[in-house]
Amino acid sequence: MTPWMASGLVYASGLALTAGSITLLYIVTRTFNFAVASMATFGFYVAYTGVAIYGGLPYQYYPLVFLFGSFLGIVCYYGLNRHLLYRQAAEITLMMSTLGYDLVLLSFIQMYADFLTHTYRLFPRRVTMNTYDFELFGERAAAIILPIIAIVFLTALHMFLTKTKFGVAMRATIENPILAGASGINSDKVYLVSWVISGGMASLGGAFMAMAMTGSPTMGMFTIPLMFAGAILGGLTSLYGGILGGFMIGMTEYAGVFYLSQQLGPWVLGYRMGIPLILMAVTLLFFPRGLAGIPLSKYLKSLSGKKRGDGV
Amino acid sequence: MLTVTNLNSGYGKLQVLYDLNIEVPGKGITVIVGPNGAGKTTLMSSIMGIARVTSGEIIYENIPIQGELTHNLAKKGISYVPQMGNVFAELSVMDNLNMAGFLMPRDEVKKKSEQMTEIFPVLKKFIHRDAGTLSGGERRMLAIAMGLMKNPKLMLLDELSTDLAPIIAEKVMMEVARLRDELGITILMVEQMAKRALEIGDNAYLMVSGEVRYSGKADDLLHEPELCSMYLGIKPDSGQIADVAKPSVEGSEE
Repeated sequence: MTPWMASGLVYASGLALTAGSITLLYIVTRTFNFAVASMATFGFYVAYTGVAIYGGLPYQYYPLVFLFGSFLGIVCYYGLNRHLLYRQAAEITLMMSTLGYDLVLLSFIQMYADFLTHTYRLFPRRVTMNTYDFELFGERAAAIILPIIAIVFLTALHMFLTKTKFGVAMRATIENPILAGASGINSDKVYLVSWVISGGMASLGGAFMAMAMTGSPTMGMFTIPLMFAGAILGGLTSLYGGILGGFMIGMTEYAGVFYLSQQLGPWVLGYRMGIPLILMAVTLLFFPRGLAGIPLSKYLKSLSGKKRGDGV
Repeated sequence: MLTVTNLNSGYGKLQVLYDLNIEVPGKGITVIVGPNGAGKTTLMSSIMGIARVTSGEIIYENIPIQGELTHNLAKKGISYVPQMGNVFAELSVMDNLNMAGFLMPRDEVKKKSEQMTEIFPVLKKFIHRDAGTLSGGERRMLAIAMGLMKNPKLMLLDELSTDLAPIIAEKVMMEVARLRDELGITILMVEQMAKRALEIGDNAYLMVSGEVRYSGKADDLLHEPELCSMYLGIKPDSGQIADVAKPSVEGSEE
């Protein structure tokens, strides 16, 4: 595996989770969650605190990372989102409220970074998490383990949404909240669970991404355009589309930078974020509903039709 | 069973209902008829905690329920079949029935689902199909089955005949009458197909512009020529349903 591919896989797995987090929350609560930036950063700091103070590997702290992200989601839901949802606030109000929450979290992250410096003599403002990684089959372990964790997590999420009573109730509420309420489904619980899952995904995604980039208090702020780009590329109405969108954005960034810097020179590195955003813009030009709007079955049918035609 | 007293409600700042009074006696069919924009659906939404109630009282089995959350009303035995979006189109027929029985134990849901597929055999045929692929008539059947899953004491049926071919609408009306006669369920029914609804109904209210213009026996309303022709498009004793009450034939294949 080439180094860019290894880093790309790690980074894209993290971006897929954060984009999925944004999409899940949007389809359930109509809320564009800007706080995903600080939730992701907190995810990195939980893993970093674990390895820097208590030792071990970053991976063993991921359950804690998820739980902490879920806790941040619960705080946001009960502190802000729930009240606004019950007052039927507009989407812009819901979105701006999460921006406010993000700024509050960012302040706490800065304080926490100072706390780590003063109390444990650490340097938490520029952290290279991959120094805590190890080699597996001759590759960076993260490049193998993180995509596997992401796939296992997303499979579990899929099973939850399709095979469990509450998961199906979540899908029912997403589709038709009034009918779901009339069926006895408590939308309050559905919204809460979506914040729990979404917060956990955001933090886990941040912890993943920090294995491929420099961890800092502002890492979420710098990567949030790409998290949203992934969600938008996915079409915003499909959780799976959002996850795929995030993954494509992440891989495109690394692949694009690698190939373009070879062809055009290292100056391309300064424009690395532009490459996936161009991909998003071009995709939306052809498919305004994003990846979720691509009629794959139609294309597959026409392809098989052509094949049959060729043979005649 | 259900008493609505001096109800004022609407959506946001828009008031739709004005001092509305309605009485729904147990084990009968109470029909709400009226022209478009009369506030019939808003009345249903107000009872179900969806529209905003500004004043007045809604009493169900001697307990005030105005302002109660929708899922709590479902727990109390009130079942609501909305006019639009009355099935989960992206879920299978089976999952729709499961969701309708969300509050019930798993075994009971299974038993009830089987019972529903016996009452509505067409659902058995399409049990694993997404509800969004069903025809208009089949969807209404599924919607009623979902309403019945919970063993309701009170069913609120909002314009069941909309978008159905007359023959299917007639079938649906027969089912509604059967729910009262065989299962003893109390039904509050809003209907555009006024003549047929009044024929199967026990009591009736005529609503116009958010107010009640007539209340009394359903049969008697059919003998109010002025009200029938002015607001319902029914020519008394003609046996005809005039244009405003005719259901469309869209999405009506069996």
